[in-house]
Amino acid sequence: MELEGYNLPDDLYYQEGHFWIKKEDDYLVMGMDDFAQQMAGLVVYIQLPAEGKKLKAGKKFAKVESGKWLGKVFAPVNGELISSNQDLETKPTLINEDCYGQGWMYKIKPDDMAELDNLIKGPEAVKEWLLADIEKYKTT
Amino acid sequence: MYLYNLGKVSWQESQLIYHALARMGREALALLSPASPYVCAGYHQGLDQEVDLDFCQTRHIPIFRREVGGGTVYLDGNQLFFQLIIHPDNPVVPLSKDSFYRKFLGPVVNTYRRIGIQAEFKPVNDVIVNARKISGTGVGEIGDCLVFVGNLILDFNYEMMSRVLKVPDEKFRDKVHKTMEENLTTIRRELGETRASAWDEASLNNIMIEEFKPLLGSLTPRGIDSELQSKIDELGGWMLSGDWLYRKGRKISDREVRIRAGIKVVERMHKATGGLIRTSYEDREGRFANVSITGDFFCYPDEGVSRLESMLEGKSKDDVHQVLTQFYSAHEVETPGIGIDDWLVVFRD
Repeated sequence: MELEGYNLPDDLYYQEGHFWIKKEDDYLVMGMDDFAQQMAGLVVYIQLPAEGKKLKAGKKFAKVESGKWLGKVFAPVNGELISSNQDLETKPTLINEDCYGQGWMYKIKPDDMAELDNLIKGPEAVKEWLLADIEKYKTT
Repeated sequence: MYLYNLGKVSWQESQLIYHALARMGREALALLSPASPYVCAGYHQGLDQEVDLDFCQTRHIPIFRREVGGGTVYLDGNQLFFQLIIHPDNPVVPLSKDSFYRKFLGPVVNTYRRIGIQAEFKPVNDVIVNARKISGTGVGEIGDCLVFVGNLILDFNYEMMSRVLKVPDEKFRDKVHKTMEENLTTIRRELGETRASAWDEASLNNIMIEEFKPLLGSLTPRGIDSELQSKIDELGGWMLSGDWLYRKGRKISDREVRIRAGIKVVERMHKATGGLIRTSYEDREGRFANVSITGDFFCYPDEGVSRLESMLEGKSKDDVHQVLTQFYSAHEVETPGIGIDDWLVVFRD
């Protein structure tokens, strides 16, 4: 879906903090969505935790830096980190260039795939959430 | 919200206080400065790659790694710190980063204006006077709070700032020093010694408090209580430890020193088939300045290298491909084993 200059593909799940999650077989791929990467500006650093890190839904597990703002990445589900995109270590701007492709950030093995239901999914839900956020950012 | 108007504190406390307040979830505005100089690195930096550790050790200059982004800075008592610790859901906090900086740098801009310096906000997060930066700022998400840190710069030690950085060679250090002098200013430089001496830490911070109040509401003065002290001590235990300080940082293949938004000094290397190309230049709002090309490649005729340096001077980085095409076509230059794609590696972001 393309809305007010932001591209949010319909087949992905989304986290409130504007990270996308894609189901691949028995694991998930996660990255920053187009809204977040446009708001952030050039990404200069991504923390890439080692595989095996236990993740707790809603808890911080990494940091991301852009435009002199050091922010947090929160786990979308309970589970375990199975890999981080090492290409981002030397080229974090892949997130700006291709946030849904080469700029993917983490692969996660969820404890329970059903936790995906807690995320935002489907054109209507995504549209409502994105429009509300666009409005909030405009007014503040 | 609390006000910690603390004046001079130890160098460690000048960093640990805001880290502690944020973890305690205590909203506050802290105004303070370090009693002695130190080097402060950004969260993601690898100290062995960014800081001249031998120099710092020889000069007994301590080093701190903050949980806020940005680059390495040399800090001393002539820089008056402001540290705003605030919950992201506080209604006064704008959602967008641009608006956040614009709003909370307002008091800094106004403070400078009230003492006769015509400062302006420059997005994303700079305060400038006649195109020169006069405040360094950054935001980190620490605990459940946002922490906005920055400084009013009474005076700045350009020499030490360029000295504590790890750089490829002294020529690059000179370039950093010169570019910093050209692009970073201070209250003393703007007002002159006599007028600047009318403003001390207390009087400047009183203005800052007056300017922050309309944005933050009432500010209740407070000192360092036992709860805060205990958190500071606890954090000091690991933030001053070698494990935290020397943790693995971002891998860097190039050297870039950001002076202010739009200005940086860059050094890049590229191993091409025909040999090593090494370049250094200033990126001034996307245009090349003071380009220097060295390496172990061959160029015929010899003066081709200096010709390319001249051709790039003042050119937009977007036009680099066009300049390189012209360089090869109009001047009959040969660089065996080095082509346009190799030059693009060192001249493009």
